Amino acid sequence: MDIGFSPEEQEFREQCRDWLQTHIPAEKRPLNADEALDFDKAWQRQLFEAGWAGINWPERYGGRGLSIVQQVIWLEEYARARAPWIGANFVGINHGGPTLIVNASDAQKAFHLPKILKGEAIWCQGFSEPGAGSDLAGIRTKGRIEGDEIVINGSKIWTSFAHVADYQELVLRTEEGSQRHKGLSWVICDMKAPGITVRPIRKMSGQVEFAEVFYDDVRIPLDNVVGGLGNGWAVAMSTLSFERGTGFIADQVKQSQEVDDLIATARAEGLITDDRIAEDLAQLKAEVSAVRAMTYRNISEVERRGQPGPEASIIRLFTAELGQRIERMGIRLMGERLLDFRYGDDDLVHDYLRGFAATIAGGSAQIQRDIIGERMLGLPRSR
Amino acid sequence: MDLTPNDEQEALRTATVDWLADNMPLDQARTRPASIWQGMEDMGWFGLTTGAMGLDHATEALLFAELGRFLAPVSAISTAVAARWSDTEGKVALALGERILDSGDTETALGLFDGKAGLVSYQAAAAEPSLDLSTAQTILDAAPEPALLGESEAALHFRLLTAAYAVGCAEAAGAMATEYAKMREQFGKPIGSFQAIKHMCADMAVRSQVCRSQLYYAACALDGEDPDVDFHIGAAKRLADQAALENGRANIQIHGGIGMTDEALAHLPLKRAHLLQFVAPTATAELL
Ligand SMILES: Cc1cc2nc3c(=O)[nH]c(=O)nc-3n(C[C@H](O)[C@H](O)[C@H](O)COP(=O)(O)OP(=O)(O)OC[C@H]3O[C@@H](n4cnc5c(N)ncnc54)[C@H](O)[C@@H]3O)c2cc1C
Repeated sequence: MDIGFSPEEQEFREQCRDWLQTHIPAEKRPLNADEALDFDKAWQRQLFEAGWAGINWPERYGGRGLSIVQQVIWLEEYARARAPWIGANFVGINHGGPTLIVNASDAQKAFHLPKILKGEAIWCQGFSEPGAGSDLAGIRTKGRIEGDEIVINGSKIWTSFAHVADYQELVLRTEEGSQRHKGLSWVICDMKAPGITVRPIRKMSGQVEFAEVFYDDVRIPLDNVVGGLGNGWAVAMSTLSFERGTGFIADQVKQSQEVDDLIATARAEGLITDDRIAEDLAQLKAEVSAVRAMTYRNISEVERRGQPGPEASIIRLFTAELGQRIERMGIRLMGERLLDFRYGDDDLVHDYLRGFAATIAGGSAQIQRDIIGERMLGLPRSR
Repeated sequence: MDLTPNDEQEALRTATVDWLADNMPLDQARTRPASIWQGMEDMGWFGLTTGAMGLDHATEALLFAELGRFLAPVSAISTAVAARWSDTEGKVALALGERILDSGDTETALGLFDGKAGLVSYQAAAAEPSLDLSTAQTILDAAPEPALLGESEAALHFRLLTAAYAVGCAEAAGAMATEYAKMREQFGKPIGSFQAIKHMCADMAVRSQVCRSQLYYAACALDGEDPDVDFHIGAAKRLADQAALENGRANIQIHGGIGMTDEALAHLPLKRAHLLQFVAPTATAELL
């Protein structure tokens, strides 16, 4: 075990740092999806042109195919430089694209992957439905096969960036009467297809980023099925094998910066003399440091065994709740200025309100605890 | 000793809830009609403990907890305290340093200044939204000079009613979450059947009971001129703030995605709790 990086890795770190320093957009990323779209596309284009798009994608699909340690270094430097979140490109780069790489036909890959890397096509993820949240297998949106087309009816909800997206990774029930994980298909849905209505939903932070999507006899080519008809659950899950736990590292650096910022604020405003505040800040600083240690450990495991262990669920849960503790400290230091928050403000209050999603979206804190208890600790299953 | 409401108090409470349910539903918390103030005044809530009505603080706290549950205007608190301890008439906004909460339709506000209740005058200016979507505020250039009220009970009264509001707020969040947990199904059963959720609901109920009990005790201490009344009201406010914040957050978690939205009501109690936490907060030293 050691925590050092090789001279070549150090040199790579310098490269990342240099490029980021000179290229990060001067202006702040806008809050709402429609206002952020141009920003996100332009930034993705820049990343692409400099060879920083899809660092974990294989080279033959236009990615950079970096080693896992290099990915970590890039993500650390990315966060350290306070580079903007990739926003509307998130699903395409981290989810849709990887799923296509693992499961799609050559034609599908050739058409979609370059567009995703260049920021030319925005993707969204249509998994959750009003009746299928934590229980994703409860999906009811239907796809009826008619000749060489699928006719889609139903609705999805909480689809981030749906109102600005070009394509959607859509999981729907293509087998009439099928139950749970069976009879689902993962399809590429053109968001501009007739019959799609998108209703953006405002969050309690004022931000408009996710939406409800309605499908009324939407027709898409049967060719848009990825990974085989009726195989949707396996396809949706296969993306997870692409996730090497590296994503946490960016969160870790960001959280560590946030804690350092809060400590600086507490010092500047004399609040650090309050023992309870000092104590809580010290605790946060230690916890953030442990996230890096956990992540390095997890990544080393992946290097050795080729796939992430169930520990990833622990890092996820801990990071999500730690983030919320940091956000709570942020508003605590504000005092009564907290009350001056208004929709549209992009500040610590906004982070706090938006941060509630960390323990809800993509596997709630409760579901994560079930996974740790059952898959990792071997406790009896409750469902 | 009897720390349960009597028949008359229960009747008043029922009448209060009925009116609030009809006239002040939560889904209108941010767009209340101007006539609401007159309606509240007609219900007599601003003068319960004045000489004219002569009810005790226990009854008043009981009813203000109901007002708090419906996220009633916070100026009901300052107005009731002003009516009891000064000869101010009509609506009195709530002063919080340079912030005047619920500042419309009056130019007088009441708040605490170094622990003492005082009245301030201010120039009516356009009110702006605050974090709490049911409360608009005016921010003055500087904290105004107060005219302090003579009686020290005024500050206790103010903190007691604020605590009552926070108790109601905590209960609103708890009730909303529990109802949702009974109705929302995932994996073929109500989410409330999962222990993780059931226990969160139970914890919300525990916090609600803890602060409501201390509220009753504190109100009786004020009525009975108990020598420890400062402590009891301070404890009530601290516990109610904590319950309102923690229940407020748990309520959003239990609602899942829909709890994150502006259109659902789950965020309203949490935002109100954050406002109440700054009104007459209890400092640690006051309890030790
Ligand atoms: C900001 C944000 C962005 C999102 N973006 C997307 C997106 O782009 N695409 C997409 O498809 N989805 C997206 N989602 C949806 C997200 O994945 C769901 O919100 C999540 O899966 C939870 O589902 P739900 O909201 O229906 O809550 P529910 O599943 O109804 O859960 C409600 C509560 O019950 C609990 N619960 C449920 N089942 C159990 C159980 N078995 N045991 C214990 N507790 C349980 C949950 O933990 C939660 O506290 C997003 C959500 C948010 C908040």
